[in-house]
Amino acid sequence: MKRLLLTIISTSTVLLLVAFGKYREWFLDKPLDYWYGFCAEVRHPGSPEEVRRIRYGLPYTLSRKIQEAAKAGQLHDPVFLFEPNSFYHDSLHIDLRMPEPALFYYYTGLQGVWMNSPTVQKANYLVVIRKGEVKIEHIQTPRQLQEILTRYRSFTPTL
Amino acid sequence: MALTLLIICHFFTGYGLLRLLRIDHKPLVILPLAFLAGIAVDSLLPFLLQLCHCPLYPVTVFGSMGLVSLLLNTGWLRPVRADRGTTRPSQTLKSILSPIRIRSYELPFLLLLSFLIFVSVWRCYYLPPTSRDALSGPEAIAEYAVREHTIANSFFTVDLSTTNNQFKSPFLIGLQVIYKMAGFPFGQVWLSIVFVSFTCLLYQLLKLTLHPILAGLLLLLMTMAPELYAYSFMILYDYSNMVFFFLGIYFLFRSDGKDGAPGEFFFAALLMGVSTYIRSETLVLAAFFLPLIVRKDWRNKKPLGKMVRRCVLFLLPSLAAYFLTTWLYINYYLPVRYDISSLTNPHLLQLSALYHVYVNMVTELVTSAWSLNLWGYFIFLWAAVFLADVLVNRRLSRPARDWLYAVGVVFFGLGLLSHIFPLMEVGLTIKRGFFKILPSMLLSMANSRLLIMLSTRMTRWEEGLVVRSGG
Repeated sequence: MKRLLLTIISTSTVLLLVAFGKYREWFLDKPLDYWYGFCAEVRHPGSPEEVRRIRYGLPYTLSRKIQEAAKAGQLHDPVFLFEPNSFYHDSLHIDLRMPEPALFYYYTGLQGVWMNSPTVQKANYLVVIRKGEVKIEHIQTPRQLQEILTRYRSFTPTL
Repeated sequence: MALTLLIICHFFTGYGLLRLLRIDHKPLVILPLAFLAGIAVDSLLPFLLQLCHCPLYPVTVFGSMGLVSLLLNTGWLRPVRADRGTTRPSQTLKSILSPIRIRSYELPFLLLLSFLIFVSVWRCYYLPPTSRDALSGPEAIAEYAVREHTIANSFFTVDLSTTNNQFKSPFLIGLQVIYKMAGFPFGQVWLSIVFVSFTCLLYQLLKLTLHPILAGLLLLLMTMAPELYAYSFMILYDYSNMVFFFLGIYFLFRSDGKDGAPGEFFFAALLMGVSTYIRSETLVLAAFFLPLIVRKDWRNKKPLGKMVRRCVLFLLPSLAAYFLTTWLYINYYLPVRYDISSLTNPHLLQLSALYHVYVNMVTELVTSAWSLNLWGYFIFLWAAVFLADVLVNRRLSRPARDWLYAVGVVFFGLGLLSHIFPLMEVGLTIKRGFFKILPSMLLSMANSRLLIMLSTRMTRWEEGLVVRSGG
């Protein structure tokens, strides 16, 4: 009887804990939401590639698009130059963040640089993203690279 | 299959180490402890292989894991003193695997904990959230290490001017390499083993002094600290660092108590070393425990030579870990250089700045509305229990005082570190460093005279019924 009473007490404590206050909010937003995610995934399991797309979001998808474009164009030893994130935000007013070179390499195995990278002189392709489309422009001369850097000079590359 | 083999390997490695050091405890503490110790040992192996210029192939990585496990479980490494019977024998495998008895009133807590653990394990295995700190450093290095069989791989040819994460400890790299080689595309299943083992271990430690209802409730409140829970499935250094730091303190305190065995002091030092291997700045926190060791030795009237020897012995693994990860790894192994001195605060003697760090820590991490999103009500509960203990009993028990000291070390130590390294911002690095304070608070509550008194009353009341109904 006493054990039953203690069981009722412990059950009530647990229920009260997840039914009120901050813990309720957290429990609904996180563990329970993850649980629903689990149930959905069990019905339709995704491949590791799909999981990566869900997890890493738009920067990953764009990186893969660049990789595909590089493959389709048979680019040799490409080093991609990315437009600054502040350019997308301040000039184009879109919420887009290109990954930093380290992340881009992790996603694709390809080299990339930012406008302020110490190795920016190695860049031989400019990545331009407009309306969700990835365009790759060949940088053929150091002068052309200099012109690009000047064009984006007022936008500081940020994470 | 691969996971089962890895789990068995971690267990036997850890179990061998525990037997070697003659660590004696409840079977249900030894079991999770063996997993944790095994993971700690195995995390070092890919890094050590690389230091010996051995390429990372499945045969070298898993071969070395198996060899270490075998070595630790053969008689070769058994200490000579083991047969003298000066200490109690370690747990036998049979007693560790004996059936577990659970009372009905433990079930609600255990069920909710199991649910939280399940969700965490699933997220960790299937949909792992990965922080930028991991992706732009250890995770990427591990990914290319598996492909190119070396940690010093092509990742270091990339423009890394936007990150310094490539210089962080090889702890994550080692474990990610092992799990990626075993066929897990995201690795990181090891984190679930750490989480599950640590949760089980804490529950058993709490039950040593508290009634299972109080133990379950306190553990649940700590597990439900939102920020801590998130890091149980998101790989970064801080969760593992917290686990081994806590274990280091636990065995340090235990080694001086009535249950302490001689190997436990060295085990504590080793665990602190593992914690420093994971996050090198833990060395500073480890050093803060030296006054405690000196104080206890002084009280026990130990000779000065022994006192110094114990202090050196306690700090030695941490110093070795620091030397390995910051000096050898960064300066002589990695193909790129890092100047740590440029990161230190040039105005260390400006104490007003240090004071502001502490103020920020309290206002941002403890008393702000945001802190509720980080820790739930756990810190407030600890403060309430502590105050009630002081007001009602006027005096804290010795273990409670020790754990209070540990809480103080983490708080003041982290503040000092933030002052020395301004990059350790209160809202980011120090916030995650705060994880280390939570298990110390938990054990502080487990040794609260008030809660122990309540537990004793509950147990007596409950047992009274059992005796009557049995009769």
